[in-house]
Amino acid sequence: MKKRLAPAALAVAAALLAGCGTTALPYAREMGDMALLRTMGVDAGEKEGDLRVTVSTGKRAAGLQGEGQPPLILSAEGGSLSSACLAMQGLSDSYVFYGYVDQLLLGEELALEGVQTVLDYFAQDVELGLGTQLWLIRGDTAQGAVQAGEKTGVDSRLSTLQTDSEMGAAGVTRTVGETSASLLEWGSAYLPALRAVEQEREGETALLEAGYGVLRDGRLVGYLDGEGARGLELLTGRTAADILEIELPSGRTVVRLTGAAVQWSPEFQGNDLKRLHLTCRVTAALAEGRRQLEEQEQEQLRRALEAREEERLRRVLDQLRSWGADCAGVGSQVGRADPARWEKLRDRWTRLFSTVPVEISVEVSLGAR
Amino acid sequence: MGILEPERTDTGPHPRKEPRFDGPLTLESLGRVFEGCVDYMERQVYLHGDRERTVTVCYLLGMTRNERLSDYILRPLAQDPALSRAPEEELFSLLQYGALYNLAANRRTALEDVVNDLILGSCALFFPGRADVLTLPVPTEEKRSVGEPENEPALKGVRESFVESIRTNTAMVRRHLKAPELKIREHIVGRRSRTQVDVLYLEGIADPETVERLRRRLDNIDIDGVEAAGNLEEYLVDHLNTPFPTMPYTQRPDRFCQGLLEGRVGLMADGLPFAWMLPGTIDQFFKTGQDRAFHWMTASVLNLVRWFCALVTVLLPGLYIAVVTFHPEAIPVKLALSIVAAKQEVPFSTVFEVLIMLLAFEVLQEAGLRLPSPIGATVSILGGLVVGNAAVEARIVSPAVLIAVAIAGVAGYTMPSQDFAAALRLWRFLLAILASAAGLFGLAAGCAGLIYHLASLETFGVPYLAPFTAGAGQPQGHPNLLRPPLPRMKWRDGARHTENRRNQR
Repeated sequence: MKKRLAPAALAVAAALLAGCGTTALPYAREMGDMALLRTMGVDAGEKEGDLRVTVSTGKRAAGLQGEGQPPLILSAEGGSLSSACLAMQGLSDSYVFYGYVDQLLLGEELALEGVQTVLDYFAQDVELGLGTQLWLIRGDTAQGAVQAGEKTGVDSRLSTLQTDSEMGAAGVTRTVGETSASLLEWGSAYLPALRAVEQEREGETALLEAGYGVLRDGRLVGYLDGEGARGLELLTGRTAADILEIELPSGRTVVRLTGAAVQWSPEFQGNDLKRLHLTCRVTAALAEGRRQLEEQEQEQLRRALEAREEERLRRVLDQLRSWGADCAGVGSQVGRADPARWEKLRDRWTRLFSTVPVEISVEVSLGAR
Repeated sequence: MGILEPERTDTGPHPRKEPRFDGPLTLESLGRVFEGCVDYMERQVYLHGDRERTVTVCYLLGMTRNERLSDYILRPLAQDPALSRAPEEELFSLLQYGALYNLAANRRTALEDVVNDLILGSCALFFPGRADVLTLPVPTEEKRSVGEPENEPALKGVRESFVESIRTNTAMVRRHLKAPELKIREHIVGRRSRTQVDVLYLEGIADPETVERLRRRLDNIDIDGVEAAGNLEEYLVDHLNTPFPTMPYTQRPDRFCQGLLEGRVGLMADGLPFAWMLPGTIDQFFKTGQDRAFHWMTASVLNLVRWFCALVTVLLPGLYIAVVTFHPEAIPVKLALSIVAAKQEVPFSTVFEVLIMLLAFEVLQEAGLRLPSPIGATVSILGGLVVGNAAVEARIVSPAVLIAVAIAGVAGYTMPSQDFAAALRLWRFLLAILASAAGLFGLAAGCAGLIYHLASLETFGVPYLAPFTAGAGQPQGHPNLLRPPLPRMKWRDGARHTENRRNQR
């Protein structure tokens, strides 16, 4: 046994020492020599078809007691994302490591041209991941947004938005994986949009929520703002940070939406889709004011809320239907309701979604605070 | 033969001379055997003052207890009038069967036996003109008193530990197990040391095959002396090429007796203040004498903690190297940022840092052990705190490495068996080197090698990993990672082939 093992061990050692194992074994890198990138912004390049990539490390710490250094921001342009990322290696004195990129910003111009290349790159690259949060920069470039956090980096602001969203205090966030899956399955997707706003203090720029951008076939077709954005949240069953002020005869009442659920029921005539029924159940609670409302006041409040939510849903559906973008997955719900008929109308769905009549009914239940 | 070794002729083992002393049994022969021994004493005694009747008392000074020799042997010889009146031919049997007050009296006819008796603390009575000799055991009982077990402290258990005297140790066991089924078989090991080595087992419970196997191996030992545990261990174990111990030992009589009750075979050697329990499966090295004293839930959790610590101590340095050097994406972001910040001004590579710190840890431990305890503590404080802190502040090593190595080191100290902990320390180095060559791939390969190695070990016919393996038709014991409530532990472990598996109603 030993006589057989010894030559084998020698052969393995010789192969490794001769460098034969470099392709089979993982490659060693020292973390101290790495620049850990946290945020990546991608824009359309100056030349047609080019891409400009801007990356930021976020706030760094130097040494044990060292003061925080400003973030390292690098920007490079190339014919492809790979070449731009490779060009980035030459701009830094450290090894640029993309394994920690968890925020991806897309410029508006790039979104109008198409984002599929970027999403595919994130799906295939060994360091980048589909769990990266995806944001659309409205009316600006991603480079500008990344550079907006010149002193502290934008990653902390984006992380805060993400955490707020999970707690229901900010709008819905989307990852690269979710967006890719949505585009693959439904042909359209929505993205949270941000706008870089100059602050009162000179030189400081903040990223603020600016509704949602809607993609169809990988291209930006428009934005949903205000009531439309709230309607999209309802449509996706997320009621993020929604406070409503309702005027009642007895005075103003402040209500917080605490939950929403939607159900699509198709109505067929033969094999043709005649109508879609959308039932939305919303739960709400009083946020301010008197603890108890009279029964009559509750009824008034409920009716007012139902009218408001129905209007929101109608507005977002009209907008999405006009774009032909089923980014809320209405088609998949119709398919689940009647799989056999869905198979026959799947190919015509985009046109059907825009034309089929929709009946909306909203039921609001008021709960305890 | 190695290149640097001088040429030598292999003569093979020199034959063992049986009997060692083959002359006639006479006073002169005995004197020749002990020629040059300053402690060898001879004294001629007149029986009741009769100058015509004499005996010669021989003994080794220091091996006999003087008071017993004087009171039980010399006084009756000098003062008993019956000894001067009895016929010459009856004198020997009179002394053998009652005239002397000693507990035992043995008639010896061979010089070899007399020499052995003298060495063990007997005195010999030579009668003029007779070819046989009377030996009377009057051994000294000078020994260290029974104290607390220092290596296995007890919070809730007996506070006695084995001492260097084997007879005291067997007596302690006998006091714990007052059963005639407790058998104690003695072997003499060592050509020169003539060390008493006892095999203890409970007849009807212990596996007779294991007892026989142990006795066979003891008989086959042909060495000069037994002065250290290794003199027995390395001749009795099945595998020498493993750092893992296969013979668990204890200082505590209660734990030793528990082992006998579980069907193990005990082994003791004169001069060694501990006893072995065989066969030694891996779970034995994670158990303490306190496991049965504590509440079963506490004991179970503590046992799990010890297993977890074993994994930590053997894997953590390798895992740190693998993750930080090869797979940084596996580290949570905030931890990665801390590691990068701490690592920035350190001039050495992570692999070098970890290996140097592991080596420094071993050096400090060795230095602390070799020095007297007050100085040892100072060395530990100086090395661990002052040098460690200074190294971090001077950016020689990064704090994360220091923490990883320290956690691995401290986790190793939770092992009840320091032999097992030492084996884990060796494997820790090997796994760290493998991880530095091939990252998690190397670490996984090393772990597979470790499991393969452990699975290939056997101890007295029982697989080392027996608690976690189930052979065909082999009855299983109780779970070994947990300590179930004692009323539910009705079975002795099947892997030890105990004769009577049920241990309670």
